Amino acid sequence: MELFTPEFGLIFWMFVAFACLYFILAKWAWPFIIKSIEERAELIDKGVAYAQEAKSQLDNAKAEADKIIAEAHSEQADILREAAKMRNELIEKARGEAADEAKKVSQAAQVSLEQSRKEAEKQLRSEVGELALQIAEKVIRRNIASDDAQRALVDQYLSEVETKN
Amino acid sequence: MKSKIITAVVALVIVVLMGMGYQSAARHHGHEPEGEVDVKELIFDHLGDAYGWEVPFNHSVRIPLPIIVWGQDGLHCFMSNRITGGETYDGFKISTSEKYHGKVVQVLADGSEYRPWDFSITKNVAGIAIAALLVILMIIALKRWYARNGLKAPRGFKGALEFIIGFVYTDTIRPILGKHAPKYAPYLMTAFFFILTMNLLGLIVIFPGGANLTGNIAVTMVLALLTFLITNLSGTREYWKEIFWPDVPLMLKFPAPIMPLVELLGIFTKPMALMIRLFANMMSGHMVVIVLVSLIFVFTSQFSVGVGAGTSLISVAFTLFMLLLDTLISFIQAYVFTLLSAIFISMALVEPHAHEAK
Repeated sequence: MELFTPEFGLIFWMFVAFACLYFILAKWAWPFIIKSIEERAELIDKGVAYAQEAKSQLDNAKAEADKIIAEAHSEQADILREAAKMRNELIEKARGEAADEAKKVSQAAQVSLEQSRKEAEKQLRSEVGELALQIAEKVIRRNIASDDAQRALVDQYLSEVETKN
Repeated sequence: MKSKIITAVVALVIVVLMGMGYQSAARHHGHEPEGEVDVKELIFDHLGDAYGWEVPFNHSVRIPLPIIVWGQDGLHCFMSNRITGGETYDGFKISTSEKYHGKVVQVLADGSEYRPWDFSITKNVAGIAIAALLVILMIIALKRWYARNGLKAPRGFKGALEFIIGFVYTDTIRPILGKHAPKYAPYLMTAFFFILTMNLLGLIVIFPGGANLTGNIAVTMVLALLTFLITNLSGTREYWKEIFWPDVPLMLKFPAPIMPLVELLGIFTKPMALMIRLFANMMSGHMVVIVLVSLIFVFTSQFSVGVGAGTSLISVAFTLFMLLLDTLISFIQAYVFTLLSAIFISMALVEPHAHEAK
């Protein structure tokens, strides 16, 4: 059977062809192709791992952000409460101080008023006394008998005094 | 719509080709008076090797190929078209005798035939060269893609190549050979793509295909021999110890070395199985296709052209199915050869600790 008897020439050429093919591909192609394919597989694996990590990180970040927001909210409330308290205190204090100041001012005013009133009284008194003395002096100086005349005189002097003032 | 037009065009081409085939066959028929079709001759003609390469629709014109022979008086080189017509050239002719049928022989002075050392570029050798060239073109093209585009994934044909490489290397060779994979991958990958290309080229019926390459035992023999050499040359101490002093009861290996003999036989049966499997699968596929096509001519010569035409419908349908099946087998057999070679090599790389762990 011709089919089952290997032909020497064909074996020879097949071997030569395979050897050439092997050396060309093993030298210039296979190592490079295998390296490229493995590198890309690695890159894809890394990419997937990275994406998963990124996703979990993103989820974590979301939770963290929520936490931070909640904290910020409570802090904000605290601060607002504190501020309100402080404001009330400030107002109270300011009010107290204002009241004290007002009291002092009014006291001082009263004192000065009293003083000026006393002074005015004193002055008035001395002026009235002087006036009275002047009037009396004039009355005596004129020596007038009639009452009417005397009275008219008094009136005249009094009105003189008034216009003077 | 577009696919319908394509189908119509393809059908028209097939019908025209079939018509030409009938015409040619009829003319051929007219030249030769005998009506009987020698199917056996036909089959072995197609499966075997040849000097020169047939062209379609013609039996006498062949693409000439160089004949290189080392006869009794030294080297002779000439083109095959000088002798394929039955002539004798320079003392050489194609033998018609029983012993050297279809081979180049030197006619000696006493009229006897001498078979010289035959290094001719026959149809199969040319087919092997074409297949090797195609593999180089494909793989170098892929390599250049990677060199140019870095880690970008290729598209189209190169993408398909990469998918196959991924299937063979990443999913088969690497899991089997582990850390040894990069060392043996070039051989295994080269073998895979070479076998695949030869298988597929064999299915194309006209030049540059049509040579029954992997269905030829010499081709598969070389491939199996290479796997045999690589396996046994990279065998570890543990591998040889398991062959000559396996871990079996003493009476099985001494005084009569039964198990060592069985193991030793195993070294040779493994590559033999590789050789026969690929050869038988591819050859039988080709044979079935040829027989199915021959049926048309057998029925035509036995009955009438009408019966033959009727048979052709069925035959062509079956042939189409067989060719599709052969395409699948082409892939499977190339893969199986690579897979088994990888397994044999990995078995030769066995380490002692793996053995003790059992």
